[in-house]
Amino acid sequence: MASSQLPLADDLYLAAHDSARGRCLLSPATLGIGLAAGLLAELVLWRRIDVLDTKLAVVDERPTAEPATSAVLEQLLRESHHRLVRDWISFLATGVATDLVERRLARAGHVRREEKRGLLGTKVRFVPTDTSIAGWPGTRIRIASSRGEFLDRPDLVLTGLVLATGLDQHVLVTLEASEREQLFDQLRRRLPVMLQQLIGHAEAAVGDAVMARRA
Amino acid sequence: MSTTSTKPARPSQLSTALAADRLGVASVVFFVMSAAAPLTVVAGVVPTGLAVTGLTAISIAFLAVAVVLAIFSVGYVAMARHIANAGAFYAYIARGIGRPFGVGASWVALLAYNSFQVASYGGFGAIAAPLFADWFGVEIQWWIIALAAWALVAVLGVRDVAVNGKVLATLLVAEIVLVTVFSVVDLFTDNFAPSGAAMDPSSLVGAGAGALLVMAVTGFVGFEQSVVFSEESRDPRRTVPRATYIAVALIAVLYAFSSWAMISATGGNAVERARTEGPELFFNLASERLGSVALHLGHALFLTSLIAAMISFHNIIARYAFSLGREGVLPRAFGRTVPGTGAPKNGSLAQSAFGLIVILVYAIAGWDPLVQLFFWGGTTGGIGVLLLITVTSAAVVGYFARHREGEDFWHRVGAPVLGTVLLLVVTYLALTNIDILFGVAPGSTPTWAVPLAYAVLTLAGVAWALILRRSRPEIYQGIGMGARSASTTLSFSDPAPEAQK
Repeated sequence: MASSQLPLADDLYLAAHDSARGRCLLSPATLGIGLAAGLLAELVLWRRIDVLDTKLAVVDERPTAEPATSAVLEQLLRESHHRLVRDWISFLATGVATDLVERRLARAGHVRREEKRGLLGTKVRFVPTDTSIAGWPGTRIRIASSRGEFLDRPDLVLTGLVLATGLDQHVLVTLEASEREQLFDQLRRRLPVMLQQLIGHAEAAVGDAVMARRA
Repeated sequence: MSTTSTKPARPSQLSTALAADRLGVASVVFFVMSAAAPLTVVAGVVPTGLAVTGLTAISIAFLAVAVVLAIFSVGYVAMARHIANAGAFYAYIARGIGRPFGVGASWVALLAYNSFQVASYGGFGAIAAPLFADWFGVEIQWWIIALAAWALVAVLGVRDVAVNGKVLATLLVAEIVLVTVFSVVDLFTDNFAPSGAAMDPSSLVGAGAGALLVMAVTGFVGFEQSVVFSEESRDPRRTVPRATYIAVALIAVLYAFSSWAMISATGGNAVERARTEGPELFFNLASERLGSVALHLGHALFLTSLIAAMISFHNIIARYAFSLGREGVLPRAFGRTVPGTGAPKNGSLAQSAFGLIVILVYAIAGWDPLVQLFFWGGTTGGIGVLLLITVTSAAVVGYFARHREGEDFWHRVGAPVLGTVLLLVVTYLALTNIDILFGVAPGSTPTWAVPLAYAVLTLAGVAWALILRRSRPEIYQGIGMGARSASTTLSFSDPAPEAQK
C-alpha cells in the first residue's frame, strides 16, 4: 500500500499544500519547522543521527543514498559544536529545509516550478504535477486510521508532524473521535522515543513561533 | 596548538542564519510602547482619573512608579534569561514560588488583561461617539461604535494580519510626536501656571496615594511584554534589559511631562475641567493655540491609538490562552492555531466572545462606558497587573535563591528584594485606597468585588493545579513552560482519562 510513498519530508510538503491549486496551508515559518523536523527524522530513519533528549548525535558519518538528507548530514558534521535539536530546527526552518525538499520533489517530477510575474517582481512557487500523488499522504493516514490499520514508521512520523504543525485541521479533520484516539494510541505505542522527542521539539518550536509573533 | 582550534574554521552558517532574525533594542522598545498606548493614557486615563479621584499628583506618581518598575525589571529580565515562556508572569511564579500559584496567577492575568481589553472598547465607543457627531453629524450610540471596533479586532485577531507591525509603529511615532507637541503648546496657553501639586512628592504618602499609584501603573502596562523576545534578541544579556529600561524611562518622562503640562495649563482648575470636559481636556487645552486642524488630527490619532491598544491586548490575551492550552492547564483547544497564519485561534475567539458579552451587558444595562467601563476596567486591570508584578518580584527572589548560577548579587537578590518591598507597599496602598481609585463610597461594590474576584481566581487556580498534580502529573510538571511543554508532553501523548493507567 505504500507503493507511492515518498521521503517523509516530501510527503509532509505535499500534505501541507492544497492539492488542486498548490496553495500552502501553513505559514512559511510553520512549514519550515515541519520540514526541518522531517529531514532530521529522515536522518534518524537512515540511522545517521540519534536524538537524545534536547541534543542530537551523529552515529554514522556516511552520506545517505539521496542528496537532501546528505546535505543536512554534511552540515551537521561541519558544525559539530552545535548539537541542540532546537537550534537545528530553527536553522533549517529559515528556508533551508523548504528549499531542499522543493528541489527533491522537483527532481522527482512531483512538483513544477511556476513563476508568476506581479507588480512587485516575480513570485516563484511549486505546484504539484499530479493531484492524486499530492493528496496521497493525507489520504493514506486517513484510510489507515479509519480501517484501524498500522502505519509504518515514516508515516507515524508524518502523522506526528501533521499534528505538531496544526495541519491536522486540514488533513485529519474528517476523522471520528475514536479514529483519532486510535491514531494517537499508535503514535504513543509504536513511535520510538527518539522520534517522539523530535516531534515534541517541532511542536514546541511551532508554539514558540506563535508566542514570539513569528509564526 | 593554535587558539583557533576551538573555534570553527569559518563562520558558522547556523549561527549566522539564526542571528539574522534577531531583534535589536529599537524593535523591542517599539513593541512595548505600542502596547502601552501613550495617547490613550495621556488623553484618556489621566483626565478621567483626575475627574474620578480628584487627585492631581499624577505626574510624580508616574515618576515614582517608573523607579519601582525599573528596580523590579532588574531581576525580572535577569530571570527571563533562564526560563521558558518568559512573556508570561505566571511562568515566573510557577518557577519561583510554585506551580499552584502559577496557575492562580495565570487566571488573574487573564482577567486583568481582559479588563484592559473591554475597557478600551468602552473608551473607544464613548470617545468616538461625540467625535462622529462632530465630524459627520450623525448620532451613534457608543455601543454600536464599540461593536464596530470589536468586530475589527476580532477579525484581525483570528487572521493575525502580519502588516500591522509596521502600521502600529508608524501610528506610535505619530502618537508620541502629538503628545509631545500638544504638551509643549500647553506651556504657552493663557491660563498656564506651573503646577506644584502635580509634582508634590508628599502626596505619595498622603491620602489617595494608592489610587494615584495604581493609575500610574495602569499607564505602564505593556512594559512587561519586552521579555517575550528574550530568546529572539541579538544579545540576550543586553537587548531586552536595555529595551525595558529605555521603554520605562521614555514612558515615564512622556507621561510625567504631559500630565504636568496639562494640569498646569488649566490654571488650577484641573479637576473641575476634567469633570466637565473628560478626555477632551487634553485636546481643548492645546487647541487654544493650535487651531482646528491639529485638533482633528489629534482626535483621529486618539481613536487609532485606542484601536492599536485593543489589537495589542487582544493578541497578548490570545497568546496567554494559547500557552495555557499548550500546557494542558486550559483545554487543549486553546493551544490550536490557524494553520495558515499561526494566529492563536481559540484564544482569540474566546477573548472576542468575552468582549462581546461585556459590551452588550453595558449597553443593555445602560452603564456609563467612560467611567464604569473605560476607567474602572482599566484600573481593575491595573490592580491585577500590580498584584502580578508584586508576586512575580517575590518569585524572582525565590527562583534565584535556588538557582544562583549566572547572575550577580544585585540581579539575584539586591534589586528583587528591594523591588518586592516597594511593590508590597504600593499594593498595600492600592488596596486600602480602592474606594478613592474607583471614585465610590467606601464599602460599595467595586471596592470589594475586584479584590474578591482576584482572590477567588487565585484560589481556583491553586485548586485546579492541585487536582492536576493528582490526576495528570505530566501536565502538572509542564506548568509554566508554555509552548515548550510540548518537548515533554506532546498533544497526542495526553491519553483520554479512561486510557490512563
